[in-house]
Amino acid sequence: MLRSFSLGLLRLLAIMLLASLLGATLMRIAPGFTSDEQQLNSSLSSQSIQAIRQARLADADILHYYRGYVVSLFQGDLGVSQSLNQPVRDLLRERLPVTLRSMAIALLLAWFLGLALAITTQMFHSGFVTFASEGLSGTFISTPAAVLALLFVLLRLPAELAAGLLIFPKIYRYGHNLLQQSYALPHVLTARAKGAGRWRVLVWHVAPTTLPQLLALVGVSISIAIGVLLPVEVICDVPGVGQLAWQAAEARDLPLLVNLTLVVAFATVCATMLSDAARRRFTRAAA
Amino acid sequence: MKALRIAAVTVLVLAALTALGAHYIAPAGYEHQFRETPAAAPSSHHLLGTDDLGRDRLARLLYGMRVSLLLAPFAAGLATLLAALIGGIAGYWGGWVERCLMLLVDVFLCVPWLFLLLTVRAVLPLNISPEASVVVTFALLGFLGWAASARVICAGTRDMMKSEFVWMARATGFSGLKLIRLHLLPNLRGTLLAQFWISIPVFIITEANLGMLGLGVAEPLPSLGSLLGELQHVVTLRPEPWQFVPLIVLIVVVSSFQTLLNKQEVRA
Repeated sequence: MLRSFSLGLLRLLAIMLLASLLGATLMRIAPGFTSDEQQLNSSLSSQSIQAIRQARLADADILHYYRGYVVSLFQGDLGVSQSLNQPVRDLLRERLPVTLRSMAIALLLAWFLGLALAITTQMFHSGFVTFASEGLSGTFISTPAAVLALLFVLLRLPAELAAGLLIFPKIYRYGHNLLQQSYALPHVLTARAKGAGRWRVLVWHVAPTTLPQLLALVGVSISIAIGVLLPVEVICDVPGVGQLAWQAAEARDLPLLVNLTLVVAFATVCATMLSDAARRRFTRAAA
Repeated sequence: MKALRIAAVTVLVLAALTALGAHYIAPAGYEHQFRETPAAAPSSHHLLGTDDLGRDRLARLLYGMRVSLLLAPFAAGLATLLAALIGGIAGYWGGWVERCLMLLVDVFLCVPWLFLLLTVRAVLPLNISPEASVVVTFALLGFLGWAASARVICAGTRDMMKSEFVWMARATGFSGLKLIRLHLLPNLRGTLLAQFWISIPVFIITEANLGMLGLGVAEPLPSLGSLLGELQHVVTLRPEPWQFVPLIVLIVVVSSFQTLLNKQEVRA
């Protein structure tokens, strides 16, 4: 138990450090890294422009930068945003709760809608319900997140609803396929043949086989939600981490982007590990 | 449901033919400006009207489809190739090689790749040529979108390495490369093709998201994503329903892909 926990923790640390290093390296190798928009500002003196150029060049050696960053990180210093001129820690403290709130609402909505439609489609075998569910999920899975967000701005609807509608098709499709497989299992067919009611079959025979796999989807859905919230927050002007990432990318703000990569990696890996652990526990308990 | 599949195939074939024949079908070049009729409503001359710079919207849509629909498979091919290489090596060697490569896969999967893409794409120089921007955008999609497929291919290769026919082949003295060429690759073809087809709609949607955020293909070259960027004017300035046509085309094309993919998943 302790060994697997330690290994998990080590894996988490390795992934976080590698992910942030990858983010920093990708930024560095992309052409244009050493240039800054502020250099075009005609009101700045030549000394100021030279100072900006030097500051950019100081970050050019990515391994040197990253070593310094990791040392500061272990001392609790996340650095200062180059574009917003504010400590990254303060920026994250302001923005994280907003994104977490949006994510929680979006995920709740997506899971409720996705599972409700998957169960209804599978239980009632109605042509209309199947067509409507497939059509709804097909439309939202084919709509770019940014376009749906824009339509929600136009209709003055909440951004969380847009994010929820973008995540729900993945949960619906995965849930629907899982239910289809579970309803074809011999013990479920036997229970139905013996006259067990729809709800009894679902709760006592189908749910125990599908729940462990659905738990694994929880972690994946968090990763999907982070990807979806980025364009939604940008378009709907929600002051969350997604919008901050966009601003950082626009301003080529390396310290901010590296920290955001670290936070996103931490959230995603933790969610995946927790849902995996829950799935294993549930499978053991069921066995 | 069979009718739905036939409809999806028809839509995709039509879209592919339209994209390939854009040069012959389009009423004008994608950058040709009709300066006397900027922001015109649909008419017999311009079936979808013109944009603010007087460019024919239908022509831009046709050329945009060509860019998106032909380059998304290119990105999907690149991603599948990388996934086959990394996933295949991990599954073939197993042990610490697999653990290290799967850690790399986890790194790519844990940071949503749209995030990474935005990071890289945003730092590209502003004076990049439109043609280069197309190649860079779709190449980036390919280079960053391989991880999920690699995990599937790794699992497939690992299972195959434990199968009886591979054991027999190894027992009869098949070397590594011969084993891969004659036994592993032919049996993994289905998985590789499935990953390729699954990636195409994902890359079309991602390019559209980037285009909406102003990071996609550079002007004047159109793509479905960059055409969707015009929708921002619909919201802020004036309601012109014909500007939604690129969105409808995108939804129809991606839905057709999803319909076919979903059926294959269910059948599997």
